[in-house]
Amino acid sequence: MGAFITAKDLTKKYGDLTAVDGISFEIQEGECFGFLGPNGAGKTSTVKMIHCVSPVTSGTLTVKGMPAHIDNRAVKMMTGVIPQEITLDNDLTVTENLAIFAKFFDIPRQEAKKRIADLLKFVELEAKRVSKIDELSTGMKRRLLVARALLNHPKLIVADEPTTGLDPQARHLIWQRLRQLKAQGTTLILTTQYMEEAQQLCDRIVIMHQGKILREGLPLKLVEEEIGREVIEIRISKDEDERIIGQLAPFACGHERVGDTLYFYCRDGHDILKKLVELDLPNTWTRPASLEDVFLKLTGRGLIE
Amino acid sequence: MNLSYRTYYVFVRNMVSYKRFVVPTFLVSLVEPLFYLITFGIGMGAYMGYFGGKPYLYFLVPGVLVSSVMMSSTFECLYGTFVKMVHEKLYDSLIATPVSAEDAVAGDIAWGAFRGLVSGSLMMLVAVVMGIIPVSVPSLLLLLVLMVFIGVLFASLAMIVTSVSPSFDFFNYYTELIITPMLFFSGVFFPLDKFPAWMQKLSEFMPLTHAVKISRAVFSGEYRAKYLWNFLVIFVLEVVAFVIGVRMMKKRLIK
Repeated sequence: MGAFITAKDLTKKYGDLTAVDGISFEIQEGECFGFLGPNGAGKTSTVKMIHCVSPVTSGTLTVKGMPAHIDNRAVKMMTGVIPQEITLDNDLTVTENLAIFAKFFDIPRQEAKKRIADLLKFVELEAKRVSKIDELSTGMKRRLLVARALLNHPKLIVADEPTTGLDPQARHLIWQRLRQLKAQGTTLILTTQYMEEAQQLCDRIVIMHQGKILREGLPLKLVEEEIGREVIEIRISKDEDERIIGQLAPFACGHERVGDTLYFYCRDGHDILKKLVELDLPNTWTRPASLEDVFLKLTGRGLIE
Repeated sequence: MNLSYRTYYVFVRNMVSYKRFVVPTFLVSLVEPLFYLITFGIGMGAYMGYFGGKPYLYFLVPGVLVSSVMMSSTFECLYGTFVKMVHEKLYDSLIATPVSAEDAVAGDIAWGAFRGLVSGSLMMLVAVVMGIIPVSVPSLLLLLVLMVFIGVLFASLAMIVTSVSPSFDFFNYYTELIITPMLFFSGVFFPLDKFPAWMQKLSEFMPLTHAVKISRAVFSGEYRAKYLWNFLVIFVLEVVAFVIGVRMMKKRLIK
């Protein structure tokens, strides 16, 4: 039994622009796999090739053993897509939106009716059954997109930045639902810029930048490998750098000056904290290292060793 | 061409959304022909005397029938499709389902043709109420069939324009430089035989000219073999425009 999705030297070009630059990865059945990266990293291009709406420029990409191709209806048949943009049908009501989509998947009318009722309950939109789309808030629209993606009982769900622009309540509801689906054995592909989202949902992530995969791994392990356990932030003028670095660097595994802040990264914070107390610096914070630190290190700024 | 029965689902989607616009569009579809028939037919017709032994309205109605089909299906596949593609991103969500890009575009062409048929039928209704009636029931039915062919033709041509259009403004080139002149140079309002020879030749290259000829012949029950040629022109052009329109739209939709 091979992987659910296999990509080898996958490349996507739009004219002269290389959006995805020869990446390889495997996604197992039932896992939640996250693509992280800043805007323009190639995340969306990659997932669009996976769910067969964008042709592969070169390399190979298979989904459940089938080559991904824009005319591959079998892949589309078993995939649910939560798109980045809100692509609901504004001319139709909430229920009509789902009913028409059910048709596209050849779901018989009675069965569709049942699924629509269940799904509206699942995303807590029962009260909006006959509303028009422009009467919904952004959060409701996103939830409706989730419901729409589930109509065909997909084996694979592709969620392309599913919580962009949502308030915390709506975001947490969507996370809940996605976790619920994963628990039922659905394979989940997520792209996101929110590190918390990746940490909440993903078993495994890749960090993409400029079309390439920079790192792959388990979220927490990546943090530990790349950053350590703790981060110390010191807001202090640049003039003090030499003195403070001289004092603290021996206890840290890396440091960095960004704008008004001096960062120290360390695996074990005990010694450096003692030293910090000794130095008695104002404006100092200690916090656990996060995926965001990894992300910034890899995609934003170089770490000075 | 990855066409399937799902084209029909796209048509149904348009039908469901149409519910909300049906009253205004019916009103427009009724007022426009009335305007033509009253101004040209009755107002101007009074000065025109008889055309081939019949009042001018008998000349005018078959031409206006097909040109109203042309207008409706053209505008549906220009503005209607453009809004769905660019503003509503509807196509993006369609092609993520088992509906292919070809299905989606073909469904919209079928829809444009249907809108043309509706306009043409309403026009026919107005004409019948005014007492301008096709010669027989088969002739009436044949006219309806003809409207479908003309609808698909102009919907497909409009699709080609939409596939390369950066914005709404671009459609003006097509409507003002091609569609409007076609309305006046295809013999809808007056016979072409007083035009210089080169203009008559030119009008042969306008699909509407052929549609008007067939429509007028069928309306009065004058079935002659020579009209098969006119039909062939429409049919061939239609198939070509359909294939090119679908291909070019697919190219725009799938990046």
